[in-house]
Amino acid sequence: MTAVLAVAANTFREAIRNRVLYILLAFAIVLIAASMVLSSLSYVEQTRILQNLAFGAMRLFGIVIAIAVGINLIHREVDRRTVYTILSKPVSRTAFLIGKYLGLVATIWLLVAIMAVAFALTSWVGDAPLGLGHLAAVALVGLELAVVVGLATLFSAFTTPMLAALFTTGITAAGHLTRDLLALAAASGDPGVEAVTRWLHRVLPDLESFNLTLHAVHHLPITASDVVLPVFYAIAYTSVLLLLASLIFQRRDFR
Amino acid sequence: MSGGTPIVRVENVVKDFRPGFGLRTKRVLHGISFQVSPGEIFGFVGPNGAGKTTTLKVLMGLIGATSGTARILGHDVRETAFREHVGFLPENPWFHDFLTGREFLRFYARLAKVPRAEREARIDTLLAWVGLAHAGDARLRTYSKGMLQRAGIAQALIHDPQVVFLDEPMSGLDPIGRVEIRDLILRLRDEGKTVFMNTHILHDVEMLCDRVAILVDGRIRWEGRLEEFEREGERKSQVVLANLKPELAERLEQRCQAELRGHGERVELRVAEKDVEGVLGMALGAGAEVVSVTPLRQSLETIFLSAVEGAAGGGR
Ligand SMILES: Nc1ncnc2c1ncn2[C@@H]1O[C@H](COP(=O)(O)OP(=O)(O)OP(=O)(O)O)[C@@H](O)[C@H]1O
Ligand SMILES: [Mg+2]
Repeated sequence: MTAVLAVAANTFREAIRNRVLYILLAFAIVLIAASMVLSSLSYVEQTRILQNLAFGAMRLFGIVIAIAVGINLIHREVDRRTVYTILSKPVSRTAFLIGKYLGLVATIWLLVAIMAVAFALTSWVGDAPLGLGHLAAVALVGLELAVVVGLATLFSAFTTPMLAALFTTGITAAGHLTRDLLALAAASGDPGVEAVTRWLHRVLPDLESFNLTLHAVHHLPITASDVVLPVFYAIAYTSVLLLLASLIFQRRDFR
Repeated sequence: MSGGTPIVRVENVVKDFRPGFGLRTKRVLHGISFQVSPGEIFGFVGPNGAGKTTTLKVLMGLIGATSGTARILGHDVRETAFREHVGFLPENPWFHDFLTGREFLRFYARLAKVPRAEREARIDTLLAWVGLAHAGDARLRTYSKGMLQRAGIAQALIHDPQVVFLDEPMSGLDPIGRVEIRDLILRLRDEGKTVFMNTHILHDVEMLCDRVAILVDGRIRWEGRLEEFEREGERKSQVVLANLKPELAERLEQRCQAELRGHGERVELRVAEKDVEGVLGMALGAGAEVVSVTPLRQSLETIFLSAVEGAAGGGR
């Protein structure tokens, strides 16, 4: 456990030194702030449009940052051979991987918190109401990003950063579409298509289940299960991802 | 560990690399076997590309052997927990360069389960041992190559391991550094630790190692105690002659298979000890002048060279 935490802390330290991170974060904050300007162009529902846009910016940049930072960090440990000395200590490859994962998640959550503050400030300036629903929605964005980091960890356990970025981006995008596909297939009435989309929905991460934006923005009631179920889903899905990653990483030759 | 149980036991380890994506494989280790006993300084020597680093990576569990078994302290090298007692310095080490020397050692001390209460004292000790006490608060990014090497050695020893594996420990060190690290290795032996080192600096091997294995092209060509080297090879002497006529030179070469170097004025011969008398008699009889006769110590170098040459000349 000490080893996992040591690797996580070291990963966090390395990640927050990354300049790209701050550039992306700056972009995200600008975009969140800009959503206020954009929303003022509309005559109706200004505050809702504002918050919708801002949430979108938070999610999008969160994903971009998670992928950009997540992909490189594991690759770099192998490429620069720091993994040699780490694994020569009583640290299992699984512990190493989990440490990397936790360090990255901590980094991403810190960024989400910063973006959330930007969001709250923008809402406050734009006179948009804030409530607990917004907090829940932000928390679920963080949860979704934890799953995305899990995907990045899985792919970077065995491929090059380029491919890992590609796969993670692809699956993240697909993960946002599975519900739409399900609906489309149901509309089509073709049993074959329906079976395929159901299967896709089961295998790919259902990332829309982490989307409480609508509830928050429209002040719809949020039940405990709206939050608790995604938490369990994220934990289960990420565990499977990390288990796979660890099985693959276990067999890898570092040469 | 009871007295005789080996610290390291390698049996028939084969390693194939697959250079591309194809099925073609390249055999780097051809079924090597050796043992290292407790308290030994074991030298693993061989030319570039012989497979020394590959062997060490198998021992560190970084790459899997294609077949064969490798054990350290009685544990299969694929296990994790026993590494609490193992230290490792990789070849050309590289570390997280945003850490200071002290933070870097703290990180590895945590990984190696050094109890929190002992950590800082241990870090101070090691920084002093490797001569980095002045640089503990500087970031590794600002370290020179030799300083990084020293940091790497400190990292390998931070948890006071029973056995240490060093891949080219002297590389990148200045002459003073070499002496310091040599002393450090001897100190480890005095403390009863076992040291396994890869190197091609034979002088260090002669000064430090109790036992040696010579690896050539992924095969062990010689293994034994250093004194055995001396007994094994035929002793030779160097004979320097002057005023040697060419035809005599030729005759000498044929008669006692002497190796002959130089021309005209001065000629240097390497002669087996038993032939020295005959060579001198012939030379003096033909009016040559004997400049010197020096018995040659059978050095590790000559054994090393003949092991490598033997491997090249149909040794497989
Ligand atoms: N990743 C790899 N893929 C394919 N072949 C490799 C790989 N790494 C090493 N080799 C080959 O394995 C052989 C042994 O390499 P190794 O690094 O073990 O040699 P070494 O004895 O440590 O040499 P040196 O003294 O130069 O450090 C070499 O022929 C090398 O080309
Ligand atoms: Mg080597």
